[in-house]
Amino acid sequence: MAEETAVEAVPPQDSKRETIAFFIGVAGWLVPGLGHALLKMWGRAVMCLVTVGLLVILGAGMRGNVFSSSGNDAFDTLGFLADLGTGTFYLGARALETNGADVSHAGGDYGTRFLATAGVLNLLAALHAYEAARGRKA
Amino acid sequence: MNAGMEFKLSHLQSMLLFALLISIAFGFLSRRRPIDRVKYIVWSLFLFLLIGVGIGWAMYPFSR
Repeated sequence: MAEETAVEAVPPQDSKRETIAFFIGVAGWLVPGLGHALLKMWGRAVMCLVTVGLLVILGAGMRGNVFSSSGNDAFDTLGFLADLGTGTFYLGARALETNGADVSHAGGDYGTRFLATAGVLNLLAALHAYEAARGRKA
Repeated sequence: MNAGMEFKLSHLQSMLLFALLISIAFGFLSRRRPIDRVKYIVWSLFLFLLIGVGIGWAMYPFSR
């Protein structure tokens, strides 16, 4: 019985590892690729930075919709959450798109998808970095 | 003001770029060895394009 209690207790180093993994995940979300860079996974770090960055630049350049927090319906809110997944690049997208969105053409619609995909992809990468930091196979 | 930043891409160019970038990201995230990554990227890109063009043709009868 005493052995069972000892097995269930969380060792302090595991708790510390969880905390570090959490901050690595947050870093990966805020700056695409930073989470992997902190784990010295350079290939994945560069890939995250380049793919998420290109998707944001293309999305904003195609005048896709960069959703704001003041959405009118659930789709706007979901779009905002997806866009927010790019972390600090969300601010970059807003800064790049000074002429505003234009979804009256197919290009603008594609741009909206590019921006949302960039966010979701970055969240996936941040979760991957978090799992890798926890010691899971990555 | 930033007219130089505007991109005018066709449907095909947009799809190709999207498929390529996502395939690269998936390949790097899900595979460790370079050769496995390349295989995954090529296969994923092929499926993206095949399914994209397939859906396009499937919608063709309802385009008007």
